[in-house]
Amino acid sequence: MPKTRTNQEWLHDLTSSGSIQDAAVVDLRDILLRAALYFFSRNLGDFRGLSRDEILQRAEDCAQDALIALMKHLPDFRGDSKFTTWAYKFAINMAMVVARHERWKGISLDELAFFEESNFFEKMMQDRSGEPTPERSAMQTEIQGIILDVIREDLTDKQRLVLTMMVIHEVPLDEVVRHLGTNRNAVYKLLHDARKKLKSGLEAHGFDVGETISLFGTSR
Amino acid sequence: MQKNRFERWLQNIQNTQDEEISCSECFDLVSHYVEVELSGQDAKARMPQLKQHLDQCASCRQEYESLRDLQFLENNDELPSTSDLEDLIP
Repeated sequence: MPKTRTNQEWLHDLTSSGSIQDAAVVDLRDILLRAALYFFSRNLGDFRGLSRDEILQRAEDCAQDALIALMKHLPDFRGDSKFTTWAYKFAINMAMVVARHERWKGISLDELAFFEESNFFEKMMQDRSGEPTPERSAMQTEIQGIILDVIREDLTDKQRLVLTMMVIHEVPLDEVVRHLGTNRNAVYKLLHDARKKLKSGLEAHGFDVGETISLFGTSR
Repeated sequence: MQKNRFERWLQNIQNTQDEEISCSECFDLVSHYVEVELSGQDAKARMPQLKQHLDQCASCRQEYESLRDLQFLENNDELPSTSDLEDLIP
């Protein structure tokens, strides 16, 4: 088991030299490995087709990558959490990127990038229950038309692509990042701007988004 | 009752803010958020922008949930050893 250290002791030991630093790095790597294994054990469905040894190797790789990333960011540690809490997030982040990639690696994302108006609401509303009344149905149709207009006319190509992949096909953020060769912040911003345009579009037509939800949903 | 997918998406649109923090900012702050939450304080009230991001971003939310659960186990001396965790991999 790794030696228990205070935040100050972690910082001191990791920035020391020789055997003190070596021991701290070994302990830290074990902590990161445990975080990666913990994440993998809760997401085993992402690793179908991989052997136990292959999964364990990926956890080792995550721990190593997380260790490198953490050491690079060590000066950023402000001490507003336990050092281990701060450290775990590096391993969890690496583990999630790897796990989601394993799940999606055989799927062609190019085929999931095109927005198809004809089946947008069909895909989005697969899990709805019950049929609406005629009056609600008419309002739903009007709202759907506004949403489609905004997606078609107001979104940029990239906003539409990200919305299609992430909202319709539920492609994980990190796989969209990998597909587009960009970073999380950029993809999140594209989706954020798309949401802003959709919200404005509905409000410009006199629809409060909250009322819109009750028209479509199970909430009353 | 469970919200359907389209309803959840509309909820995300409704809760959209003009300015939202980025995934990098979320990553930077989330360990503090977990610490506040696990200490029994109202993390949502203290860090509303982070909570808003977690509600909008599934990836950051999943990372946060794992971090929170992992830290909870450590705080309670229930975090499995490396070999116990390896045994969970079939």
